[in-house]
Amino acid sequence: MRVVIAEDQLLLREGLIALLREHEIEVVAQAEDGEGLLRIVGAHKPDLAIVDVRLPPSFTDEGIRAAVEARRRHPDLGVLILSQYVEPVYTAELLAGGEGGVGYLLKERVGDIPAFLDAVRRVAGGGTALDREVVAELVGDRRARDDGPLDSLSPREREVLSLMAEGRTNNAIAEALVVTPGAVEKHVSNIFGKLNLPAAADDHRRVLAVLAFLRATDGG
Amino acid sequence: MTRLLAMAPPWAKELWRLVPRVPAQVGGGISLLSFIIWALTGAGTPWFLWTWLAVWLALALVVAWRWSRLAPPGPRRSLETVGAFSLVLSINAIFNWAIGGAGYFWPIWVILGFGIAFSVYFLYLRNRGADLRPARERELTERVETLTETRRGALDVQAAELRRIERDLHDGAQARLVALSMQLGRAEEGLADRPEVAALVRQAREEATAANAELRDLARGIAPPVLTDRGLAAAVEALGSRSPVPVTVDAQLGRRPAPVIESAAYFVVAESLTNVAKHAPGARASVTIRLDREELDLVVADDGPGGADLEAGSGLDGLRRRVAALDGDLEVASPVGEGTRIEVRLPCG
Repeated sequence: MRVVIAEDQLLLREGLIALLREHEIEVVAQAEDGEGLLRIVGAHKPDLAIVDVRLPPSFTDEGIRAAVEARRRHPDLGVLILSQYVEPVYTAELLAGGEGGVGYLLKERVGDIPAFLDAVRRVAGGGTALDREVVAELVGDRRARDDGPLDSLSPREREVLSLMAEGRTNNAIAEALVVTPGAVEKHVSNIFGKLNLPAAADDHRRVLAVLAFLRATDGG
Repeated sequence: MTRLLAMAPPWAKELWRLVPRVPAQVGGGISLLSFIIWALTGAGTPWFLWTWLAVWLALALVVAWRWSRLAPPGPRRSLETVGAFSLVLSINAIFNWAIGGAGYFWPIWVILGFGIAFSVYFLYLRNRGADLRPARERELTERVETLTETRRGALDVQAAELRRIERDLHDGAQARLVALSMQLGRAEEGLADRPEVAALVRQAREEATAANAELRDLARGIAPPVLTDRGLAAAVEALGSRSPVPVTVDAQLGRRPAPVIESAAYFVVAESLTNVAKHAPGARASVTIRLDREELDLVVADDGPGGADLEAGSGLDGLRRRVAALDGDLEVASPVGEGTRIEVRLPCG
């Protein structure tokens, strides 16, 4: 797997590179700003770009804009956004374009190394990895709202839905909830039935269907 | 004389103070002397009145000059000088006419002449756009302008300062905590053969994560990044989607107002939606924002039970002060049973 990193803070950039190298993930190039990201993505054609939201020169959402542009130019590029904060508007923009994998994690999740590496591999492989806070913004708060279709789900089904939205596989969901993969499969087909979603063959399409549904019901 | 002065209107006292002491005494002496001489020489034609007229004219011109010097230099002062001299000379013409036998009222031409000269000068100055307001009014206006400017400056500095603090947290403490989590994560991996130590390291990592989450909430509370990055409409959308009650947002701005206006509007919406969630959990809320060239209008309405009060010390009162400091106003209408409506107007020309 070939990875590029766009992060202006030396401490974090060096830490990430060391961490990925320890796990035999090759960091082929690094950049400190949005322009640099577009340049190294064009030059190295990596599988994955790990991008900080806040980059020079504007120190606002430069990273998101550059990531969206990189995905537009290279639709099969996987983009994993790391940020100190999650914002629904950024999630929506990231999910809107491209065929490749998408991830949006809080920076501190990097500390849980197995989970972080799992997310890196998933996104590089075209999958999805959304922070549980991102998913909570999409799912959690809808629970209090009346007459939404999510109300028809049982609490366990909602948990499964959230984990699906994070981009996890059936096996990973089963592990997280301490149930059998068979039980998860049953929940998943119930959820798809209740929400009237088309059955999806692979995990990534499944996540996109769920996210599309959640975003369509956004705004109450 | 002193008692007489005490009873006089303020403008008369003002004028009296301008009369030059020694010349007034000398002039008074000459007037009295000429009166006595006239009386002793048979009290014929009252020629002494001409002496009086000369003394009055000399003193009145000095007073007029001194009075016009009271105004600060500028067009207003020259206008006052012309006016004062015109007045003195017109009055003098009337006296002259009266002493000279009070026949045909020729002083009307003198008065008319001065009147026209004064008016022409006034119109000329006004046409040139000269500032003809009295000194006091001008001082107060300038003071208000300075205060408005410096208050706004202070608020702008404060807004910039809050954003700087948010940025410092982001690049400083938060970045270090992330680096710490990362290092602890790597340490944990290396301790696979010592599970009890690995558990300790894991706890430490979770503490670091919790500390970072607290800093994130703090940062969002002082200067929400999405507000800085994407402006008011996106930030209010984000507030709406985070709120546990359903919120419809209709924000049409077209341009970005000053940071201090943006953050005041943002925190009004944040506080109002928190209140809706707290006091009217079953309600629906709507946020409407409009921005034209002069002001930002903001309405947060809900269909909850109403009855919200704007007591001192409440969150709403704090917001009202914040809005008032920007020369805006905040109104709350919350009749029991009819929901709550908070309207804010913020000038931003």
